[in-house]
Amino acid sequence: MSFNILIVDDSRSMCAVIEKIVSISGFKMDHCFKAGNGREALNILAKEWVDVIISDINMPEMNGLEFLGELKKDSLLRAIPVIVISTEGSEERIQSVFDLGAKDFIKKPFLPEEIKKVLYEVIGVSNEGGYKEDKGDDDIFDF
Amino acid sequence: MKGDIKKIRETMTSSIFEVFEKMFYIFLEPLDIRYDGYDIQTAISFKGTISGHVMILFSKEIARAMFQNMLGVEDDNIARQDMEDCSKEAINMVCGNFLRRLYDTQVFNLSMPTFTEYKSENLELDDDICRMDFDSDNGKIGVMMKI
Repeated sequence: MSFNILIVDDSRSMCAVIEKIVSISGFKMDHCFKAGNGREALNILAKEWVDVIISDINMPEMNGLEFLGELKKDSLLRAIPVIVISTEGSEERIQSVFDLGAKDFIKKPFLPEEIKKVLYEVIGVSNEGGYKEDKGDDDIFDF
Repeated sequence: MKGDIKKIRETMTSSIFEVFEKMFYIFLEPLDIRYDGYDIQTAISFKGTISGHVMILFSKEIARAMFQNMLGVEDDNIARQDMEDCSKEAINMVCGNFLRRLYDTQVFNLSMPTFTEYKSENLELDDDICRMDFDSDNGKIGVMMKI
């Protein structure tokens, strides 16, 4: 199974770096959508389904916090896991991001391994790109 | 704030080193003398517990190397738009990292970074400005900060 990813960042080079890290990490990516701000991201989400969103905060027109707020209002979109990657890493800011529904937070600058680790954790797949085994369920059905 | 200038310089130096090493694989050394041969400049403002602005000056060589290293490309024909984009991302990361190191529990609002050709006559120098220059195998950068 492969996944659709949406990267939301006003920096084209940052979008390209994140896409490159994801693609070489062994993650099975079907399509990588890119948006320059929250507004563009919502337009993409109106037409396409994505499995995970990776978003910056400091962006023009609609920033990452406003974007998270819009996702939270939508009963369908709020189910999509969001990873926030930002330079703004104060405790208060990180808490506000989690309060708005983000699944994880990565501070810029980051190492490629950090993105890979968080992505696998958030989407619930193993390093080989398949779903993680749920040990709890195995115990229940292991007669 | 003037009394804290040593701490501010040390914190900014640590932020510069972390961002350039982690994101651009560029290892900088502080320059003892002031350098003025830069080509481009980026600036960002911040508001919060303290307010001010940061400016980073780049030679074209280092701006090109930053893009090449960040994306792992070898092409020397880097578009100006890509250098601009990369430089803006750099100052955004440096400023955010600097503020996080100084006040890790406080929220700051950062402006959108700006990018222009370097013009030394446009730079106001006074006692409140902290100025540092750095060298590397890929070229030089200068950092100016006013709080």
